[in-house]
Amino acid sequence: MTAALEIRVRNSLDEIARLAEQVDAFCETHGIGPGIAYNLNLAFDELITNTISYGYDDQAEHEIVVRIAASDKAVEAEIVDDARAFDPLSREDPDVDADLDDREIGGLGIFFVKQFMDEVAYRREGDYNVVALRKGLAAND
Amino acid sequence: MQITTEKVDTTFVVIPAGRLDSNNATVFEKTVTDFVRNGETRVVVDLSQIEYISSAGLRVVLMLVKQLKSGNGSLVLCGMKPSIREVFDISGFSKILQIRGTRAEALAAG
Repeated sequence: MTAALEIRVRNSLDEIARLAEQVDAFCETHGIGPGIAYNLNLAFDELITNTISYGYDDQAEHEIVVRIAASDKAVEAEIVDDARAFDPLSREDPDVDADLDDREIGGLGIFFVKQFMDEVAYRREGDYNVVALRKGLAAND
Repeated sequence: MQITTEKVDTTFVVIPAGRLDSNNATVFEKTVTDFVRNGETRVVVDLSQIEYISSAGLRVVLMLVKQLKSGNGSLVLCGMKPSIREVFDISGFSKILQIRGTRAEALAAG
């Protein structure tokens, strides 16, 4: 089995729910379980939320492209945006063992991406950021 | 997003529904922090109607528990679906928050 989907969203946070609906439908159609669908949506959401919130130097409308390809073995995805160059992997992980008083707000989003995906890679292609994700599919997913 | 609130004896119960993501975390934050500012100290957040939570939702939970603790209050969470619980576990939040299975257990713990 191979299947592919391309979704284009505007740089507006309310687009993330629409993206999630399409990702859920794609996963359901291709027999990918709801746990994996949740992980994918969380990774997309965290990365795209960062891009929309901090990545643009103007107030203009921008397009973010999400491409998903699924095989029997894995789901692979790419997120492409024309925001300022930013490597999400450059962020330091939060201290998840900190006590409540020392626990800082923030930094969790990228950490989730790294935790819930098997592979995360960043590259800059011309004026575009490209984040590539891979999540393996176990037999019981 | 839809947010229902109830008062059970002295405990304030908040029941958000749907998605708790970057798009609506601020609505949730404003609702709960307004109630705490107006004197609620024992709070239960029942997450049984939440289908999805991201780091933006966790951020509000962390702010809420810090706000309550500084006023000698308490926060108990309950009703998490397994996928929601996984997010709390991976973030380390499960270790620093009070989490119970059902609302009845949460009310007893608060």
